[in-house]
Amino acid sequence: MPKLEASDSVVLGISIDSPAANKAFAEKIGVTFPLLSDMSRKVLKQYGILKAYNVQSDEYEWAQRTTFVIDKQGVIQHVEEEESAINPNNAVAVCTKLPKK
Amino acid sequence: MDKKRFAIVAAAAITIFGMAHRATSANRAPAQQNEKINHTNLKAGDMAPDFTLLDNNWKKVHLADYRGKKNVVLAFYVLAFTGG
Repeated sequence: MPKLEASDSVVLGISIDSPAANKAFAEKIGVTFPLLSDMSRKVLKQYGILKAYNVQSDEYEWAQRTTFVIDKQGVIQHVEEEESAINPNNAVAVCTKLPKK
Repeated sequence: MDKKRFAIVAAAAITIFGMAHRATSANRAPAQQNEKINHTNLKAGDMAPDFTLLDNNWKKVHLADYRGKKNVVLAFYVLAFTGG
């Protein structure tokens, strides 16, 4: 996180949880960045990462774990999916290389 | 027990066993099984689609508000209170 702040970057978490659930989650894991609620799944659809999960033979659509790095011009610089997206080091590395202005 | 009654009981037993077996198989299936994976079509160099969502304090967050100010790491996670 300090590296990200130094690179003039912010983190936004997004899931289909309610703001209330995200508030409790943020307090539990101690995150300081915003956790956004996409309860209608509109952003997941926009970004094409709605994923069907099979739980006890019923289907649920939640986010596929994905990280996007977006620069100050609003251009995507980096996309990371699935397991590799759990580790933030690559995203942090991309941010630190982006121009400061 | 005459033959006809035996056949009915046997058929019922087979049906129940079959149902139980199916139920057990279903329970044994992995809790999260990926049936459809939608890989994102977005790639480096594309414009990030704009959005407005509520944060954990019920405040609206516009992606476009960071334009010209901050780089944004958008971290999509599956569900709160689950690892990762």
